[in-house]
Amino acid sequence: MSAAREMLCDTARAVFAEAVTAGIAPVEEAGFGLLLVPETENGFGGDWGDVNAVLQIAGVVVPDLPVAELIAGEALQPAATVSLMAGAMGQALSLSIDHVNTRQQFGRPLGKFQAVQQSLAVMACEVRAVEAAAAALASRLDAVRLDVIAADFEIAAAKLRANRAVGVVAAIAHQVHGAIGFTEEYDLHRVTVPLMRWRGAHGNDAFWAARLGRQVAALGGRGLWKAMTARGA
Amino acid sequence: MQGFALYPFDPPGDIAALRADLRAWLAVNQPQGDVVAQANCWASFDAGFSRALGAAGYVGMTLPVRYGGGDRHPLERYVVIEELLAAGAPVGAHWIADRQTGPLILRYGSEEQRERYLPGIAKGELYACIGLSEPGAGSDLAAVRTTARETPDGWRINGQKIWTTGAHFSHIMLALVRTEEGSERNAGLSQLLIDLDTPGITIRPIIDMAGHHDFNEVFFDDVLVPHGALVGERGQGWKQVTAELGLERSGPERYLSSHALLVALIDAAGPDPAPELATLIGELTAEMWALRQLSMSTAAKLAAGEDPMVEASVVKELGNAFEQDMPRRVQAIVDSGWDDEDDLAKLLRALLIASPSFSLRGGTREVIRGIIARGLGLR
Ligand SMILES: Cc1cc2nc3c(=O)[nH]c(=O)nc-3n(C[C@H](O)[C@H](O)[C@H](O)COP(=O)(O)OP(=O)(O)OC[C@H]3O[C@@H](n4cnc5c(N)ncnc54)[C@H](O)[C@@H]3O)c2cc1C
Repeated sequence: MSAAREMLCDTARAVFAEAVTAGIAPVEEAGFGLLLVPETENGFGGDWGDVNAVLQIAGVVVPDLPVAELIAGEALQPAATVSLMAGAMGQALSLSIDHVNTRQQFGRPLGKFQAVQQSLAVMACEVRAVEAAAAALASRLDAVRLDVIAADFEIAAAKLRANRAVGVVAAIAHQVHGAIGFTEEYDLHRVTVPLMRWRGAHGNDAFWAARLGRQVAALGGRGLWKAMTARGA
Repeated sequence: MQGFALYPFDPPGDIAALRADLRAWLAVNQPQGDVVAQANCWASFDAGFSRALGAAGYVGMTLPVRYGGGDRHPLERYVVIEELLAAGAPVGAHWIADRQTGPLILRYGSEEQRERYLPGIAKGELYACIGLSEPGAGSDLAAVRTTARETPDGWRINGQKIWTTGAHFSHIMLALVRTEEGSERNAGLSQLLIDLDTPGITIRPIIDMAGHHDFNEVFFDDVLVPHGALVGERGQGWKQVTAELGLERSGPERYLSSHALLVALIDAAGPDPAPELATLIGELTAEMWALRQLSMSTAAKLAAGEDPMVEASVVKELGNAFEQDMPRRVQAIVDSGWDDEDDLAKLLRALLIASPSFSLRGGTREVIRGIIARGLGLR
């Protein structure tokens, strides 16, 4: 990560922490609405890579505040949601790892049991896939200067992949937590409930699958590979 | 784990031209006809194709020029193999030699071994197989019992390997053997490069459930190979093998083996697909796209000299699941008779039957998940 982006993330973490109790006002005051505005127009001049990094933090700390709406317009909300989801899934995984390494049953930490290890490995794969999808979507959006038509394939693929991961990630996170994860007090629902909501927001699985499927069908069987390689690397 | 970023996939040179040249070459040189050979195509043997591919400079690409290689960047090779796999080209004959044996000989081998084997590998004419598994050593590879004793004349090998893919057509085997008497588990193991025409070696076919002869049993009965057959350091076999396994797990073959079926599905669905077909194509495409990003990022990390053991395992785990899921889901919604002779039906049948092996070869699903769990800090 570039030094500028590191600094941006540090600021985001501090401001979002304040926003947990204060609401969206400190986020607005800190100028996050100007993240994508060019420097020539007195904005921050950031790119979608920056937005992706900031929204991954927002997805963990302030999932219920309209940070994505503050930063980007309607057409970019599906892409923004992928970043929120990637952040929330990363947090669900971290909480789960910490929990199974500390909670003891049968005289040892849960993380020593192979069944638990295998579940968390499955979950980690899903999280990695969504993080990769968010990052790849960001490079595409930046390459086409946020033209959502030019990035339609990647937006559809990334949002669909993120949606499909929700079922696995939320289910395993709750399973390995046991009853404590089902309480209001414990932090897990602060990411899993938003994940459930985001799966249906800005296009559920059926919506994006149909859209992407029709787009690919129009390319023809061999056309898929040609299109995919022409769009990046 | 958090903040995981994609490692930039930045091969040198004109990658669009590299793809275009290879596609033009394939249009002329790829054998047409057998659509089933396009599925799981890194198991499709075609010596003529391998030789032509080598002559065209697409085998041993990363090996130094002085050994007949092309001195190309590993990510240029990556682009070439993803094109070959997406096209369903029959790369099985030279696959293992090109992917892992060649690079391993370059890294750990003696000068004599490099000069002896690398030029043939780069020509696409010298084939290799991997001698790891034994009847008593599957997932538990450290249970290897085949021995090699050092004598004044060389190494004397006794024991048995099993499930050895391609042993019947390969010229050499890179075998993991126990060189230190009385050693246990992962200590005392070494890698030997064995010419398979050495007296005392018996290779017996094992026919798989698809009716194919791909893997074999290999018996060693007092086989004598020269001192120079040792690869790398004596007693360091375990370390060398685990590094090698990392290399083989994250390649594009982990999600492109079944690409021919997706192609056939899309073509059968036509430009205006029924809703349930559009949905399936969309879901499969999204998964393939995400896997491609993960695989490219892992390859870039490997090329930069890092050791992305966990990422490589993630690619294998997700790729295996994707490729096992695909034929099942296609069968669930496409009306296709088991014995139908159209491309889609033939591919479907072949991949339904082949796919159980995907999460066995190269490390089982359970072993791979164990590696990921360890990477997460569990255990
Ligand atoms: C098509 C194909 C090609 C192959 N090619 C080669 C080759 O070229 N060279 C070579 O050396 N080998 C090859 N193999 C062998 C392959 O590496 C082994 O099949 C694999 O390592 C598993 O060993 P096994 O078959 O003995 O199964 P086992 O080790 O007996 O395992 C059976 C099942 O038990 C599970 N299991 C085992 N131990 C544990 C544990 N501790 N915890 C949880 N679950 C466990 C496994 O995951 C698996 O599901 C090939 C296999 C196939 C199918």
